[in-house]
Amino acid sequence: MLIDKKRVKRNKALDKFFRGFFMAMAILSSSFIVIIVLFVCAKGISPFLPGYEYGQVDLISFLTGSIYRQDQGLYGVGFIIINTLISAFIALLISFPLSVLTALFIAKIAPKKLSAAMQSVVELLAAVPSVVYGVFASGVITGIVEWLASLFGIVTYGGSSLLAVVLLLAIMIFPTLTSMSITAIKAVDPNLEQASLALGATRTQTNFKICLTAAKSGIFAGAILGLGRAYGEATAVAMVAGNKLFGPTFNPFDITRTLTSTMLAGLKETTGLDYDIRFSVGLVLIVVIFFSNWILNIVKKRIGRNSVA
Amino acid sequence: METCFDVKNIDLFYGEKQALKNVNMEIYKNCVTAFIGPSGCGKSTFIRCLNRMNDLIEGCKVEGEIIKDGLDIYSPKQDIVDLRTRVGMVFQKPNPFPMSIYDNIAYGPRCQGLKDKKKLDEIVMTSLKQVALYDEVHDRLGESAIGLSGGQQQRLCIARCIAMSPEVILMDEPTSALDPISTSKIEDLCLELKKDYTIVIVTHNMQQAARISDYTAFFLMGEVVEMDKTDTIFSHPSDKRTENYITGRFG
Repeated sequence: MLIDKKRVKRNKALDKFFRGFFMAMAILSSSFIVIIVLFVCAKGISPFLPGYEYGQVDLISFLTGSIYRQDQGLYGVGFIIINTLISAFIALLISFPLSVLTALFIAKIAPKKLSAAMQSVVELLAAVPSVVYGVFASGVITGIVEWLASLFGIVTYGGSSLLAVVLLLAIMIFPTLTSMSITAIKAVDPNLEQASLALGATRTQTNFKICLTAAKSGIFAGAILGLGRAYGEATAVAMVAGNKLFGPTFNPFDITRTLTSTMLAGLKETTGLDYDIRFSVGLVLIVVIFFSNWILNIVKKRIGRNSVA
Repeated sequence: METCFDVKNIDLFYGEKQALKNVNMEIYKNCVTAFIGPSGCGKSTFIRCLNRMNDLIEGCKVEGEIIKDGLDIYSPKQDIVDLRTRVGMVFQKPNPFPMSIYDNIAYGPRCQGLKDKKKLDEIVMTSLKQVALYDEVHDRLGESAIGLSGGQQQRLCIARCIAMSPEVILMDEPTSALDPISTSKIEDLCLELKKDYTIVIVTHNMQQAARISDYTAFFLMGEVVEMDKTDTIFSHPSDKRTENYITGRFG
């Protein structure tokens, strides 16, 4: 007999133990997310409840307001929501074509060595901490913006502006978008490419009509991740946003204010309502991200129906 | 009978490894020519020489000549895109593009710059009719081709190939991933299509070669052991190795 009954029993027990162990880990990590959201919710909702110790805030005027001034006790985030949406979407708009074409080059066109080198550069870019992007933006991008504005005869606030935020975010989401696109393009079945080439399509036609079409679902997933990063980026954005007190900001050379920069600026030097209201802003940010992801996922399903990756 | 391909002294190397050794043959127009042989004998490698799909493999080197219409297809004068529009290919695994049925068939002509909707409609319809798929899918041309069954997908791939009105259709084990019913449909199709096209087919299945082909070539270890009329190959093979293979003594 090859089968040792004792051993079978032990293996079964071990199986049971590990199943429980992994489940405990999964519950632990997912409960963190729940705890965080619950905490932010509790803290963020409190200013709008009657009997709030620093004086109840009106929810409607908070959500629709167009002035945010701690010194006057005016807290309106309506314009900040719009600012956040604008900066993130324009950043995505700039970054998306650049990333997809870069990914196509790395995945399909570049010679092997160059492709490997470029891919590690992209991965490296993804690993750069956001504060480093921030100092780069405040040192370089603001200078470029200032110079650009001077061409139109506009004086900026030292280069801090909506444009600087958009450019910064476009650079920051580039690695995410690119590496997701590379993965998606590389996952396209080589049989499809062969079929296309065998039909007399050129390399370029094959790359655009087959590789990109088949990979669009994965590329779009990258865009969703990138947009999430653009919404959520705080440190670097706060360094070049300028934190305008009212808005929304549509002029690219004017300073702006995003949800994240609002939460971050002066967090440690404040107490009372001004401190608590940041949790409300955080709650708004969570809801904004949740909704835009939900909408994008619907779009993704629609465009991804014929996709394989 | 008119010659479609005149193959002269083809040697093919994957890096250092020689995969084809001195292959010589003539492939005739409007005939079905079958390549048989055990796995790894070079039959798939050879069929891919005929539309230069081997160009895509890194380190693959071809020596010798394949004359088509008076021009060596491996000469620098040969335009690859032009060659591939005239020599179409159907692959082992059905590989429809992730688009609608209509777009799949219109893909080739569109790549050549055809935009006229009426002409495209006509090409799609006639191609589907030729592979007997039209009745099955005519009411859902706008739906994804991925939703078709395996046999339907393979017929779609043949239709996609026909849409280019090629002279030759190369088929690399087109039925190995299909069930018997779909297989017999494709076989009937081959017999139908040879009126208009020259067909070259690689098959693992000797009965299939016997059923549908006019000429058969037996490959073994990168060489063509014997090539003749299919009847002759299966009834009076001149080489002992061919006889051993078709009687099932190895392979």
